[in-house]
Amino acid sequence: MSRPSPELRARVLAAVRAEPVPSRPAGTWRSVAIVALGLGSVVLLGQAGGGPQLRERPLGYVVALALVWLPIATLATWAGFGRGRSMLGRPAGWSFAVAVGTPAALLVTWLGVAVAWPETMQDASGGQAHLVCLLATLLLSVGPLVAFFVVRRGGDPVAPHLSGAATAAAAGAWGAAALPLFCGFTAPLHIAVGHVLPVALMAALGALLGGWVFAVRAR
Amino acid sequence: MFDGLSVAFARPPPAARTSDLSGARGRSYPVTVRPARTEADVAMEKYAIGDAAAFAVVYDALAPRLYGYLLRQTRDPASAEDLLQQTMLHMHRARSRFLPGAEVTPWAFAIARRLLVDGLRRTKREVLFDTGDADAGASRSPKADDLVHAREVASRIQRALAELPQSQRAAFELIKQEGLTVAEAAQVLGTTVAAVKLRAHRAYAALRTALGDAEPWLEGSKP
Repeated sequence: MSRPSPELRARVLAAVRAEPVPSRPAGTWRSVAIVALGLGSVVLLGQAGGGPQLRERPLGYVVALALVWLPIATLATWAGFGRGRSMLGRPAGWSFAVAVGTPAALLVTWLGVAVAWPETMQDASGGQAHLVCLLATLLLSVGPLVAFFVVRRGGDPVAPHLSGAATAAAAGAWGAAALPLFCGFTAPLHIAVGHVLPVALMAALGALLGGWVFAVRAR
Repeated sequence: MFDGLSVAFARPPPAARTSDLSGARGRSYPVTVRPARTEADVAMEKYAIGDAAAFAVVYDALAPRLYGYLLRQTRDPASAEDLLQQTMLHMHRARSRFLPGAEVTPWAFAIARRLLVDGLRRTKREVLFDTGDADAGASRSPKADDLVHAREVASRIQRALAELPQSQRAAFELIKQEGLTVAEAAQVLGTTVAAVKLRAHRAYAALRTALGDAEPWLEGSKP
Protein backbone atom coordinates (compact mmCIF):
# COMPACT_ATOMS: atom_id res chain seq x y z
CA MET A 1 0.00 0.00 0.00
CA SER A 2 1.22 3.48 -0.80
CA ARG A 3 2.31 5.55 2.14
CA PRO A 4 2.74 9.29 2.58
CA SER A 5 6.29 10.52 2.36
CA PRO A 6 8.36 10.98 5.52
CA GLU A 7 8.80 14.61 4.46
CA LEU A 8 5.06 15.13 4.78
CA ARG A 9 5.12 13.80 8.33
CA ALA A 10 7.88 16.23 9.23
CA ARG A 11 6.04 19.06 7.49
CA VAL A 12 2.76 18.37 9.29
CA LEU A 13 4.36 18.07 12.71
CA ALA A 14 6.33 21.27 12.09
CA ALA A 15 3.13 23.07 11.09
CA VAL A 16 1.44 21.80 14.24
CA ARG A 17 4.28 23.12 16.38
CA ALA A 18 4.16 26.46 14.58
CA GLU A 19 0.43 26.89 15.22
CA PRO A 20 -0.21 26.27 18.92
CA VAL A 21 -3.79 25.41 19.86
CA PRO A 22 -5.01 25.40 23.47
CA SER A 23 -5.71 22.07 25.07
CA ARG A 24 -9.26 21.01 25.91
CA PRO A 25 -9.32 22.29 29.50
CA ALA A 26 -8.35 25.80 28.34
CA GLY A 27 -10.63 25.60 25.32
CA THR A 28 -13.62 24.53 27.40
CA TRP A 29 -13.34 27.58 29.63
CA ARG A 30 -13.07 29.78 26.56
CA SER A 31 -16.22 28.21 25.09
CA VAL A 32 -18.09 28.62 28.37
CA ALA A 33 -17.10 32.29 28.51
CA ILE A 34 -18.22 32.94 24.93
CA VAL A 35 -21.58 31.25 25.44
CA ALA A 36 -22.09 33.10 28.73
CA LEU A 37 -21.42 36.38 26.94
CA GLY A 38 -23.89 35.44 24.21
CA LEU A 39 -26.65 34.54 26.65
CA GLY A 40 -25.74 37.52 28.82
CA SER A 41 -26.36 39.80 25.87
CA VAL A 42 -30.04 38.76 25.99
CA VAL A 43 -30.27 39.96 29.59
CA LEU A 44 -28.40 43.17 28.85
CA LEU A 45 -30.57 44.00 25.84
CA GLY A 46 -33.69 43.26 27.87
CA GLN A 47 -32.55 45.58 30.65
CA ALA A 48 -31.69 48.24 28.10
CA GLY A 49 -35.24 47.95 26.81
CA GLY A 50 -36.71 48.74 30.23
CA GLY A 51 -36.54 45.38 32.00
CA PRO A 52 -39.35 42.91 32.69
CA GLN A 53 -42.84 44.44 32.69
CA LEU A 54 -46.29 42.92 33.17
CA ARG A 55 -48.14 45.44 30.92
CA GLU A 56 -51.65 44.46 32.08
CA ARG A 57 -51.04 40.73 31.66
CA PRO A 58 -51.81 38.22 34.43
CA LEU A 59 -48.70 37.53 36.47
CA GLY A 60 -49.42 33.81 36.29
CA TYR A 61 -49.45 33.92 32.49
CA VAL A 62 -46.07 35.64 32.32
CA VAL A 63 -44.50 33.31 34.88
CA ALA A 64 -45.99 30.20 33.28
CA LEU A 65 -44.78 31.20 29.82
CA ALA A 66 -41.29 31.85 31.16
CA LEU A 67 -41.28 28.53 33.02
CA VAL A 68 -42.19 26.73 29.80
CA TRP A 69 -40.18 28.63 27.19
CA LEU A 70 -36.91 28.91 29.10
CA PRO A 71 -36.64 25.10 29.45
CA ILE A 72 -37.46 24.79 25.75
CA ALA A 73 -34.59 27.17 24.95
CA THR A 74 -32.31 25.18 27.23
CA LEU A 75 -33.38 21.89 25.65
CA ALA A 76 -32.98 23.31 22.15
CA THR A 77 -29.49 24.48 23.06
CA TRP A 78 -28.54 21.04 24.33
CA ALA A 79 -30.04 19.34 21.29
CA GLY A 80 -29.08 21.87 18.62
CA PHE A 81 -25.80 23.31 19.81
CA GLY A 82 -24.43 20.34 21.74
CA ARG A 83 -22.60 17.68 19.74
CA GLY A 84 -23.54 14.60 21.71
CA ARG A 85 -20.80 11.99 21.85
CA SER A 86 -19.44 12.29 18.34
CA MET A 87 -16.99 14.72 16.78
CA LEU A 88 -19.29 14.63 13.78
CA GLY A 89 -22.16 16.13 15.74
CA ARG A 90 -25.73 15.00 15.91
CA PRO A 91 -27.34 12.95 13.14
CA ALA A 92 -28.87 15.00 10.34
CA GLY A 93 -32.39 13.90 11.25
CA TRP A 94 -31.85 15.06 14.81
CA SER A 95 -30.71 18.52 13.68
CA PHE A 96 -33.65 18.80 11.32
CA ALA A 97 -36.03 17.87 14.14
CA VAL A 98 -34.51 20.55 16.37
CA ALA A 99 -34.74 23.21 13.65
CA VAL A 100 -38.37 22.43 12.90
CA GLY A 101 -39.44 21.30 16.35
CA THR A 102 -38.21 24.30 18.34
CA PRO A 103 -40.60 26.90 16.88
CA ALA A 104 -43.37 24.30 16.86
CA ALA A 105 -42.77 23.51 20.54
CA LEU A 106 -42.82 27.21 21.42
CA LEU A 107 -46.15 27.68 19.66
CA VAL A 108 -47.79 24.58 21.10
CA THR A 109 -46.67 25.29 24.66
CA TRP A 110 -47.77 28.92 24.37
CA LEU A 111 -51.19 27.64 23.34
CA GLY A 112 -51.28 25.46 26.44
CA VAL A 113 -50.49 28.46 28.65
CA ALA A 114 -52.97 30.71 26.83
CA VAL A 115 -55.78 28.21 27.34
CA ALA A 116 -55.28 28.61 31.09
CA TRP A 117 -55.66 32.40 30.73
CA PRO A 118 -58.19 32.72 27.88
CA GLU A 119 -58.57 36.45 28.41
CA THR A 120 -55.08 36.88 26.98
CA MET A 121 -56.18 35.61 23.58
CA GLN A 122 -57.41 39.06 22.59
CA ASP A 123 -55.47 42.30 22.63
CA ALA A 124 -54.94 45.46 20.63
CA SER A 125 -51.82 44.35 18.79
CA GLY A 126 -51.54 45.10 15.12
CA GLY A 127 -49.13 44.78 12.24
CA GLN A 128 -46.71 47.31 13.65
CA ALA A 129 -46.55 45.52 17.02
CA HIS A 130 -46.00 42.19 15.25
CA LEU A 131 -43.14 43.68 13.27
CA VAL A 132 -41.54 45.32 16.31
CA CYS A 133 -41.60 42.06 18.27
CA LEU A 134 -40.33 40.09 15.29
CA LEU A 135 -37.36 42.41 15.00
CA ALA A 136 -36.86 42.46 18.78
CA THR A 137 -36.78 38.65 18.91
CA LEU A 138 -34.24 38.59 16.10
CA LEU A 139 -32.16 41.23 17.87
CA LEU A 140 -32.22 39.32 21.16
CA SER A 141 -31.16 36.17 19.31
CA VAL A 142 -28.09 37.70 17.72
CA GLY A 143 -25.86 37.36 20.79
CA PRO A 144 -26.52 33.65 21.35
CA LEU A 145 -26.25 33.02 17.61
CA VAL A 146 -22.84 34.65 17.34
CA ALA A 147 -21.62 32.86 20.48
CA PHE A 148 -22.81 29.44 19.32
CA PHE A 149 -21.38 29.92 15.86
CA VAL A 150 -18.02 31.12 17.15
CA VAL A 151 -17.70 28.07 19.40
CA ARG A 152 -18.72 25.59 16.72
CA ARG A 153 -17.16 27.22 13.64
CA GLY A 154 -15.44 24.89 11.20
CA GLY A 155 -16.55 21.88 13.19
CA ASP A 156 -19.03 20.00 11.03
CA PRO A 157 -17.67 18.10 8.04
CA VAL A 158 -20.90 16.18 7.41
CA ALA A 159 -24.07 18.31 7.58
CA PRO A 160 -23.13 21.95 8.27
CA HIS A 161 -26.38 23.40 6.93
CA LEU A 162 -28.55 21.31 9.23
CA SER A 163 -26.25 21.93 12.18
CA GLY A 164 -26.48 25.64 11.45
CA ALA A 165 -30.27 25.49 11.33
CA ALA A 166 -30.50 23.61 14.63
CA THR A 167 -27.99 25.89 16.35
CA ALA A 168 -29.70 29.04 15.10
CA ALA A 169 -33.10 27.71 16.18
CA ALA A 170 -31.67 27.28 19.67
CA ALA A 171 -30.35 30.85 19.59
CA GLY A 172 -33.74 32.06 18.40
CA ALA A 173 -35.43 30.18 21.23
CA TRP A 174 -33.47 32.27 23.74
CA GLY A 175 -34.67 35.47 22.11
CA ALA A 176 -38.23 34.16 21.99
CA ALA A 177 -38.10 33.05 25.62
CA ALA A 178 -36.86 36.44 26.79
CA LEU A 179 -39.20 38.72 24.87
CA PRO A 180 -42.50 37.84 26.66
CA LEU A 181 -40.96 39.31 29.80
CA PHE A 182 -41.13 42.71 28.11
CA CYS A 183 -43.86 42.48 25.45
CA GLY A 184 -47.42 43.14 26.61
CA PHE A 185 -49.22 41.62 23.61
CA THR A 186 -50.63 38.12 23.85
CA ALA A 187 -52.97 37.53 20.87
CA PRO A 188 -52.41 34.34 18.89
CA LEU A 189 -51.44 36.15 15.69
CA HIS A 190 -49.00 38.35 17.57
CA ILE A 191 -47.36 35.40 19.30
CA ALA A 192 -47.13 33.49 16.03
CA VAL A 193 -45.74 36.35 13.95
CA GLY A 194 -43.83 38.39 16.52
CA HIS A 195 -42.43 35.67 18.78
CA VAL A 196 -42.37 32.28 17.05
CA LEU A 197 -41.89 33.16 13.38
CA PRO A 198 -38.50 34.76 14.11
CA VAL A 199 -37.29 31.44 15.53
CA ALA A 200 -38.16 29.77 12.25
CA LEU A 201 -36.47 32.63 10.40
CA MET A 202 -33.39 32.15 12.56
CA ALA A 203 -33.35 28.46 11.66
CA ALA A 204 -33.52 29.34 7.98
CA LEU A 205 -30.75 31.91 8.40
CA GLY A 206 -28.71 29.34 10.31
CA ALA A 207 -29.10 26.85 7.48
CA LEU A 208 -27.67 29.43 5.10
CA LEU A 209 -24.85 30.53 7.39
CA GLY A 210 -24.07 27.01 8.57
CA GLY A 211 -22.70 25.99 5.21
CA TRP A 212 -20.28 28.87 5.46
CA VAL A 213 -19.43 28.92 9.17
CA PHE A 214 -19.61 25.26 10.22
CA ALA A 215 -18.25 23.63 7.10
CA VAL A 216 -14.77 22.19 6.94
CA ARG A 217 -12.90 24.08 4.26
CA ALA A 218 -9.41 24.05 2.86
CA ARG A 219 -7.32 26.99 3.98
CA MET B 1 -21.19 25.92 27.78
CA PHE B 2 -22.87 23.02 26.11
CA ASP B 3 -19.66 22.18 24.33
CA GLY B 4 -18.06 22.12 27.73
CA LEU B 5 -20.91 20.07 29.14
CA SER B 6 -20.65 17.69 26.21
CA VAL B 7 -17.00 17.28 27.04
CA ALA B 8 -17.66 16.79 30.72
CA PHE B 9 -20.47 14.27 30.47
CA ALA B 10 -19.62 12.35 27.32
CA ARG B 11 -19.85 8.64 27.97
CA PRO B 12 -17.19 6.28 26.69
CA PRO B 13 -18.10 4.15 23.67
CA PRO B 14 -19.38 0.61 24.13
CA ALA B 15 -16.80 -2.02 24.95
CA ALA B 16 -16.92 -3.70 21.56
CA ARG B 17 -18.82 -3.34 18.35
CA THR B 18 -19.59 -5.91 15.75
CA SER B 19 -20.88 -5.15 12.32
CA ASP B 20 -22.17 -7.30 9.58
CA LEU B 21 -23.70 -6.54 6.28
CA SER B 22 -26.51 -8.92 5.50
CA GLY B 23 -27.51 -8.98 1.91
CA ALA B 24 -30.10 -10.69 -0.17
CA ARG B 25 -30.49 -14.47 -0.03
CA GLY B 26 -29.11 -14.52 3.49
CA ARG B 27 -25.58 -13.70 2.42
CA SER B 28 -23.36 -11.72 4.67
CA TYR B 29 -20.31 -9.73 3.68
CA PRO B 30 -17.09 -9.23 5.57
CA VAL B 31 -16.81 -5.91 7.31
CA THR B 32 -14.38 -4.53 9.83
CA VAL B 33 -14.89 -5.08 13.53
CA ARG B 34 -12.83 -2.64 15.54
CA PRO B 35 -11.88 -2.70 19.21
CA ALA B 36 -13.58 -0.13 21.40
CA ARG B 37 -10.63 2.28 21.60
CA THR B 38 -8.12 2.49 18.81
CA GLU B 39 -4.59 3.74 19.13
CA ALA B 40 -5.67 6.93 17.37
CA ASP B 41 -8.55 7.44 19.81
CA VAL B 42 -6.27 7.14 22.82
CA ALA B 43 -3.58 9.34 21.30
CA MET B 44 -6.02 12.08 20.29
CA GLU B 45 -7.47 12.05 23.79
CA LYS B 46 -3.96 12.49 25.22
CA TYR B 47 -3.31 15.30 22.76
CA ALA B 48 -6.56 17.02 23.69
CA ILE B 49 -5.71 17.07 27.37
CA GLY B 50 -2.24 18.48 26.84
CA ASP B 51 0.25 15.84 25.66
CA ALA B 52 1.73 17.63 22.65
CA ALA B 53 3.80 14.63 21.59
CA ALA B 54 0.69 12.49 21.14
CA PHE B 55 -0.18 14.13 17.84
CA ALA B 56 2.67 12.28 16.16
CA VAL B 57 1.02 9.03 17.27
CA VAL B 58 -2.29 10.23 15.85
CA TYR B 59 -0.54 11.00 12.57
CA ASP B 60 1.20 7.64 12.41
CA ALA B 61 -2.02 5.79 13.17
CA LEU B 62 -4.18 7.57 10.62
CA ALA B 63 -1.98 8.97 7.87
CA PRO B 64 -1.41 5.76 5.87
CA ARG B 65 -5.13 4.94 5.69
CA LEU B 66 -6.16 8.50 4.93
CA TYR B 67 -3.46 8.80 2.31
CA GLY B 68 -4.57 5.56 0.67
CA TYR B 69 -8.15 6.80 0.57
CA LEU B 70 -7.19 10.20 -0.80
CA LEU B 71 -4.80 8.69 -3.35
CA ARG B 72 -7.51 6.36 -4.61
CA GLN B 73 -9.85 9.31 -5.04
CA THR B 74 -7.44 11.80 -6.59
CA ARG B 75 -4.92 9.51 -8.36
CA ASP B 76 -2.44 12.26 -7.66
CA PRO B 77 0.15 11.75 -4.88
CA ALA B 78 0.75 15.49 -4.53
CA SER B 79 -2.96 16.24 -4.14
CA ALA B 80 -3.38 13.33 -1.74
CA GLU B 81 -0.52 14.61 0.41
CA ASP B 82 -1.89 18.13 0.36
CA LEU B 83 -5.33 16.94 1.45
CA LEU B 84 -3.80 14.71 4.11
CA GLN B 85 -1.85 17.65 5.50
CA GLN B 86 -5.00 19.79 5.59
CA THR B 87 -6.92 16.99 7.31
CA MET B 88 -4.30 16.55 10.01
CA LEU B 89 -4.03 20.30 10.59
CA HIS B 90 -7.79 20.56 10.87
CA MET B 91 -7.73 17.85 13.54
CA HIS B 92 -4.96 19.71 15.30
CA ARG B 93 -6.99 22.93 15.30
CA ALA B 94 -9.92 21.06 16.84
CA ARG B 95 -7.75 19.94 19.76
CA SER B 96 -9.61 21.97 22.36
CA ARG B 97 -12.99 20.72 21.12
CA PHE B 98 -12.21 17.01 21.02
CA LEU B 99 -14.83 15.13 23.00
CA PRO B 100 -13.74 12.47 25.53
CA GLY B 101 -14.49 9.04 24.17
CA ALA B 102 -15.13 10.28 20.63
CA GLU B 103 -14.00 8.11 17.73
CA VAL B 104 -11.20 9.62 15.70
CA THR B 105 -11.27 7.46 12.57
CA PRO B 106 -14.72 8.41 11.21
CA TRP B 107 -14.05 12.02 12.13
CA ALA B 108 -10.76 12.02 10.23
CA PHE B 109 -12.31 10.35 7.19
CA ALA B 110 -15.22 12.79 7.23
CA ILE B 111 -12.83 15.75 7.26
CA ALA B 112 -10.73 14.23 4.49
CA ARG B 113 -13.82 13.49 2.41
CA ARG B 114 -15.19 17.01 2.92
CA LEU B 115 -11.86 18.59 1.95
CA LEU B 116 -11.72 16.33 -1.08
CA VAL B 117 -15.22 17.25 -2.19
CA ASP B 118 -14.55 20.91 -1.50
CA GLY B 119 -11.38 20.77 -3.54
CA LEU B 120 -13.08 18.97 -6.39
CA ARG B 121 -15.84 21.54 -6.44
CA ARG B 122 -13.29 24.28 -6.66
CA THR B 123 -11.33 22.75 -9.45
CA LYS B 124 -14.40 21.18 -11.08
CA ARG B 125 -12.49 18.04 -11.78
CA GLU B 126 -14.06 14.63 -11.90
CA VAL B 127 -13.18 12.04 -9.31
CA LEU B 128 -11.09 9.36 -10.87
CA PHE B 129 -10.45 5.96 -9.48
CA ASP B 130 -7.03 4.47 -9.59
CA THR B 131 -6.17 0.86 -9.96
CA GLY B 132 -4.40 0.59 -6.64
CA ASP B 133 -6.57 -2.33 -5.70
CA ALA B 134 -5.08 -4.28 -8.53
CA ASP B 135 -1.92 -4.36 -6.48
CA ALA B 136 -3.88 -5.06 -3.33
CA GLY B 137 -5.69 -7.91 -4.99
CA ALA B 138 -2.47 -9.26 -6.43
CA SER B 139 -0.79 -9.27 -3.07
CA ARG B 140 -3.43 -11.69 -1.86
CA SER B 141 -2.72 -14.02 -4.78
CA PRO B 142 0.94 -14.82 -5.07
CA LYS B 143 0.64 -17.04 -8.13
CA ALA B 144 1.35 -15.44 -11.50
CA ASP B 145 -1.92 -16.61 -13.04
CA ASP B 146 -3.79 -15.20 -10.13
CA LEU B 147 -1.94 -11.93 -10.57
CA VAL B 148 -3.20 -11.52 -14.11
CA HIS B 149 -6.68 -12.55 -13.09
CA ALA B 150 -6.65 -10.15 -10.15
CA ARG B 151 -5.68 -7.27 -12.40
CA GLU B 152 -8.51 -8.07 -14.75
CA VAL B 153 -10.95 -8.29 -11.88
CA ALA B 154 -9.69 -5.05 -10.40
CA SER B 155 -10.11 -3.30 -13.71
CA ARG B 156 -13.68 -4.60 -14.00
CA ILE B 157 -14.39 -3.56 -10.42
CA GLN B 158 -13.19 -0.05 -11.11
CA ARG B 159 -15.39 0.21 -14.18
CA ALA B 160 -18.37 -1.17 -12.29
CA LEU B 161 -17.70 1.14 -9.35
CA ALA B 162 -17.56 4.15 -11.62
CA GLU B 163 -21.04 3.34 -12.87
CA LEU B 164 -22.55 3.14 -9.38
CA PRO B 165 -24.52 6.06 -7.92
CA GLN B 166 -22.25 8.25 -5.80
CA SER B 167 -23.97 7.33 -2.53
CA GLN B 168 -23.55 3.59 -3.14
CA ARG B 169 -19.98 4.00 -4.31
CA ALA B 170 -19.05 6.05 -1.23
CA ALA B 171 -20.54 3.45 1.12
CA PHE B 172 -18.76 0.62 -0.68
CA GLU B 173 -15.41 2.41 -0.72
CA LEU B 174 -15.46 3.33 2.95
CA ILE B 175 -16.42 -0.15 4.09
CA LYS B 176 -14.65 -2.36 1.60
CA GLN B 177 -11.63 -0.36 0.57
CA GLU B 178 -10.94 1.80 3.62
CA GLY B 179 -11.90 -0.76 6.23
CA LEU B 180 -14.35 1.37 8.18
CA THR B 181 -17.13 -0.31 10.11
CA VAL B 182 -20.68 0.20 8.92
CA ALA B 183 -21.30 2.51 11.88
CA GLU B 184 -18.19 4.55 11.09
CA ALA B 185 -19.14 4.82 7.42
CA ALA B 186 -22.60 6.00 8.46
CA GLN B 187 -21.03 8.75 10.55
CA VAL B 188 -18.72 9.83 7.75
CA LEU B 189 -21.57 9.97 5.26
CA GLY B 190 -23.95 11.63 7.70
CA THR B 191 -26.63 8.99 7.42
CA THR B 192 -27.98 6.01 9.30
CA VAL B 193 -26.43 2.58 9.69
CA ALA B 194 -29.42 1.06 7.93
CA ALA B 195 -29.00 3.40 4.97
CA VAL B 196 -25.31 2.57 4.66
CA LYS B 197 -26.06 -1.14 4.84
CA LEU B 198 -28.62 -0.74 2.10
CA ARG B 199 -26.31 1.32 -0.10
CA ALA B 200 -23.41 -1.05 0.37
CA HIS B 201 -25.63 -4.04 -0.29
CA ARG B 202 -26.89 -2.49 -3.52
CA ALA B 203 -23.31 -1.72 -4.50
CA TYR B 204 -22.36 -5.35 -3.82
CA ALA B 205 -25.32 -6.57 -5.83
CA ALA B 206 -24.45 -4.29 -8.75
CA LEU B 207 -20.82 -5.34 -8.63
CA ARG B 208 -21.75 -8.99 -8.42
CA THR B 209 -23.86 -8.62 -11.51
CA ALA B 210 -21.13 -6.74 -13.30
CA LEU B 211 -18.38 -9.15 -12.30
CA GLY B 212 -20.15 -12.42 -12.85
CA ASP B 213 -17.53 -15.16 -12.54
CA ALA B 214 -15.21 -12.96 -10.51
CA GLU B 215 -17.70 -12.78 -7.65
CA PRO B 216 -15.48 -14.71 -5.19
CA TRP B 217 -13.27 -11.62 -4.99
CA LEU B 218 -16.12 -9.74 -3.38
CA GLU B 219 -16.89 -12.29 -0.74
CA GLY B 220 -13.50 -13.82 -0.23
CA SER B 221 -11.48 -10.70 0.50
CA LYS B 222 -11.50 -8.62 3.59
CA PRO B 223 -10.99 -4.90 3.65
